[in-house]
Amino acid sequence: MAIFQRLANGPLAVNELAAVLPVSRPAVSQHLRVLKDAGLVVDSAEGTRRMYRLDPEGVARLRAHFDQVWERALGSFEKAVETRKKGESDAKDSRGNHRAKKRPSGRTH
Amino acid sequence: MLKTAEGTIVRKSVRVGVPIEQAFSVFVEQMETWWPAEHHIGGKAFESIIVEPRVGGRWYERDAEGKDCDWGTVRAWDPPRLVTLTWHLGPTWKFDPDLAKASDVAIRFTSEGPSTTLVELEHSGIERHGEGYEQLRAALDGPDAWTRTLEEFAKAADRGVRG
Repeated sequence: MAIFQRLANGPLAVNELAAVLPVSRPAVSQHLRVLKDAGLVVDSAEGTRRMYRLDPEGVARLRAHFDQVWERALGSFEKAVETRKKGESDAKDSRGNHRAKKRPSGRTH
Repeated sequence: MLKTAEGTIVRKSVRVGVPIEQAFSVFVEQMETWWPAEHHIGGKAFESIIVEPRVGGRWYERDAEGKDCDWGTVRAWDPPRLVTLTWHLGPTWKFDPDLAKASDVAIRFTSEGPSTTLVELEHSGIERHGEGYEQLRAALDGPDAWTRTLEEFAKAADRGVRG
């Protein structure tokens, strides 16, 4: 997505994007349309030219989605590690090692 | 320029009280023990999540009946320090095999002592999932969305502490 990266540096017109990218102008236009429909890019008329720029709100929302995915996943990872460690030192069952592949603890079924 | 990268990269880190080898092992080889269960893309809940230990290896979930569902591929493999995975799941949690639409998740493990490991995660290229963004917006604007998910997580975490 070189287009997106280019726009992150500032607003550009379609022909300016096509000039610096190894793709055709129609391909650039098509991709801009996708990004615009997705709410990640906005356009505006400046004189006779149509300028495209990133929509900061759209980008922030996409970022927030992944931020939350990983916040949650890493929190869960941390808990699994700590639970496993505790389970090993206590030699009792815990959620963290119920599927241990490499380090079965001394638990009994 | 810096703004470019920062805007489309998500960074997270966590410090765990185990040796680097163990942190890597739990993260990569026992992913199903900690991955949030409702974040599955197969029709059924996953029983295991497998990261094949080599560059080009598959990253996939497997349900109780042995059915596989791809998540991505291994782009870099340097245990126990680094694993980079391609992320093919847009905001709607559907797998798209097109590598051009996949983002990258790099997980670095740094030993800070005999039993302390820093785990740093960097998810870059998230703008490549822009095409699923409309559904994401709808999902995020819904009344349940992440608020409910986070509440459930808080409850589960609480149970984990007490149990």
